[in-house]
Amino acid sequence: MASNAIRSARPKPKPKLKPAHLFGHAVLLLVGLVLLYPLIFMIMAGFFTKQEFLGSVIKLFPIPKEPTLENFRALVQGTTDAAVTTYLRNSLFRTVYSTAWAILTSFLGGYVFARLRFKGKDQLFLLLLATQMIPTTIAIIPTYLEFARFPFMGGNDVFTGGKGILDTWWVYLIGGPAINVMGTFLVKQSLEKVPFELDEAAKMDGAGTFRVLFQILFPLQLPIMAFIAITTALGTWNDFITPFFYTNSDALQTLPSAITRLSSALASPGAVVNYPLIITLSLGITIPAMIIFFFFQKYIVQGLANTGIKG
Amino acid sequence: MNLDGKAAEMRAGTSEYLLAPGKWKRFKIRHRDALLAAVILVPMIFFWLVVSGFPTLFGFLLGFFRWIGLADSPKFTGLDNFVRFFKEPMYTHALWRSIWLGGLVTAITLLSGFGAALLMNMPLRGKGVYRSIWYIPAITSTVATTQIFNLFLDTNNGVINNILKSLGKEPIVWQYSVGWGIFWIVVYSVWKGVGNAALLWLAGLQSVDHSLYEAAAVDGAGSYGKLRHVTIPGLKPIATYIVITSLIAAIQIYEQVLFITNGGPYGKTEVLVFRIYRDGFWDFNLGMAGASSLIMAIIVIVITVLYYGWSTSSDRKTTIPIKKGG
Repeated sequence: MASNAIRSARPKPKPKLKPAHLFGHAVLLLVGLVLLYPLIFMIMAGFFTKQEFLGSVIKLFPIPKEPTLENFRALVQGTTDAAVTTYLRNSLFRTVYSTAWAILTSFLGGYVFARLRFKGKDQLFLLLLATQMIPTTIAIIPTYLEFARFPFMGGNDVFTGGKGILDTWWVYLIGGPAINVMGTFLVKQSLEKVPFELDEAAKMDGAGTFRVLFQILFPLQLPIMAFIAITTALGTWNDFITPFFYTNSDALQTLPSAITRLSSALASPGAVVNYPLIITLSLGITIPAMIIFFFFQKYIVQGLANTGIKG
Repeated sequence: MNLDGKAAEMRAGTSEYLLAPGKWKRFKIRHRDALLAAVILVPMIFFWLVVSGFPTLFGFLLGFFRWIGLADSPKFTGLDNFVRFFKEPMYTHALWRSIWLGGLVTAITLLSGFGAALLMNMPLRGKGVYRSIWYIPAITSTVATTQIFNLFLDTNNGVINNILKSLGKEPIVWQYSVGWGIFWIVVYSVWKGVGNAALLWLAGLQSVDHSLYEAAAVDGAGSYGKLRHVTIPGLKPIATYIVITSLIAAIQIYEQVLFITNGGPYGKTEVLVFRIYRDGFWDFNLGMAGASSLIMAIIVIVITVLYYGWSTSSDRKTTIPIKKGG
C-alpha cells in the first residue's frame, strides 16, 4: 500500500520507444499475424467461387480473380450441396439452449451454496467439486451406452430393443438442467463477497426470495455470469463431440459435426474432399465466434484471471 | 447471518403461538433454507447424475467387463482388460505417446506463452490488440481449423506442396510420415494454446507485487536480475497451477490427432484418448475402451491430487507475497 502511494505520487514515466519495446512490438505483431494466418486464409478462400477454388493452385495468399459472396450467402440461404441452414439452425439452437441453462443453473447453484444453510452443504459442494477432477473422457463410452439403453425411449422395452435416445433431440436437451459445477463454484465465490445485509434489507422492504434473487443479487453477478455465458456459448458452438458420437441423421447435425463428415482424415482414401463446402461451414462457425469474442473479450480476460489465478 | 436465524426463530415462535396445529407450516418455516435448497438442487443434481455422474461411475466399472458390440451382454472378467492393456504395445505405446506428446506440447506452449506474456507486460501501445490477436485461435472450432491445416497438407493440391513444387522440389506425402504427423499435431496444438497460456502468464505477472521490483531496482538489479530474482520466484505457485492444468489438458489431446492424422500411418500417431475412441466407436470393444479410460482417469487424478497436496503444503513456505487476483 505504502509503495503504491509513493508510486502514484511520482510522475508516471511516459512510455518511450525503447529498443526493448520496439522488439516487443515486432515479435507480438509478427507472431500474431502468423497465428492469425490460418483464419485469414480461411476468410480469403471464402471469396472464391467453387470452380476457381478447385481449379486454381492454392497459394499462400489466395486472391480470387472474381470475388464472390456465394459462400457467405449459402450459410443463410442454403446450398444444394448440404443442409447448411439446418446445421446453422441446430448450432444456434443448441448454443442458446445450453447457455440459458448454464446461466440459470450456475446462478441458482451458486446462491444455494453461498446463501442457504442446511446440513451437509459443504460436503455436497466438495463432492461436486471433486468430480471435476475426473476427466470427462471416461464418460464418453458410458454415455453412449446409457443413451442407447435409455429406459422406455426409442423403442426400448426397459433397456434394450431400440436405439434409446441416440440420434434424437434428447441428446442435446437432456444435459440442460444439470447443475453447472464450475459455474456454481464461480457464482458462489462471487456471491460470498456480497454482504448478507443486502438480502436482509431487501427482505425488510418486503421483497420475496425470488425478487432478492433476480432483482438484487443477479445484477451484481453480471460480470461472472457474462464469463460463464460466453465460455458456455463458445464451448457449445464449437462442440462436435455430442453430435459426432451420439447422433447420426443429417437433420441433427450442427456446423462442426457437419465438417467432421467431410474431413479428409476420416474420408476413404482417394476421395475428393469438398474443400469449398468445408470453407463455407468453417466460416459459419468461426465468424460468429470471433464476433462474440470481440464484444465480450473483457469478460473473458477478467474471468480467466479470476478462475486461473487464485493466489 | 445471525439476524436471519433469529428472525426465522421469531417467526417460527409466533406462528407456533398462532397456529398451534400447523405442524407442516412450522416445519416449513424452521427448515426454510433446506427446503429451498432441495427444490433448487434436486432437479439439477438429478440431471447432472444422468449426463455426468452416472456415466462417470459406469466408466469406472466398464473396464472390468468383457463387452464387445452393443448387443453383447457384458461378462465380468476382472483385471483381464488391464492385463491386456499392459501386454499389448498398441496400448502401452499410445499411453507413452500421450505422455510425451502432452509434455512436449505443454513445454512449447508454456515457454512461448511466457515469452509473449513478458512482452505483453511491457507498457506497449495497443497491447490489448496483441492480446486479442494471440487469443483468437483458442476460440476457434477445432474441427474447422484442423481442416484448414489439412488444406495446407493436402498431398496433391495442398498449399505447402504447391510451394514445394513451384520451387522444383518433390512434394511431401505428409500422411506417410510419423515424424511429420507428430510435427503437425504439435504445431496445431501450440497454435491453438499459446494465446491462452500467454493470458494466464500475464495475469500471473500482474499479480506479482510491484514494490518488489522497486526494491530490486534499489538493490541494483537489471532486467535479467529482476526476472531471475523477483518475477520467477513470485510466479512459482501460479506457474505450478498453469503447468499442471496445461499438462492435464495436453495428455488428453485427441481431436487434432483424429482430424489431422487419424492415428496413421499404421497407428503410429495414436494417443490413448484416440485409442479409446477407436476401441469404442470403431471396434465396439467397450471393455477395452473402459479400461483405457480408467487408466487415463487415474493418471489425471493422481497428478491433480499430488498438485493439491503440494500447493497446500507449500503455501506456508512461500516467502514472496502474492496479491490475490480478483
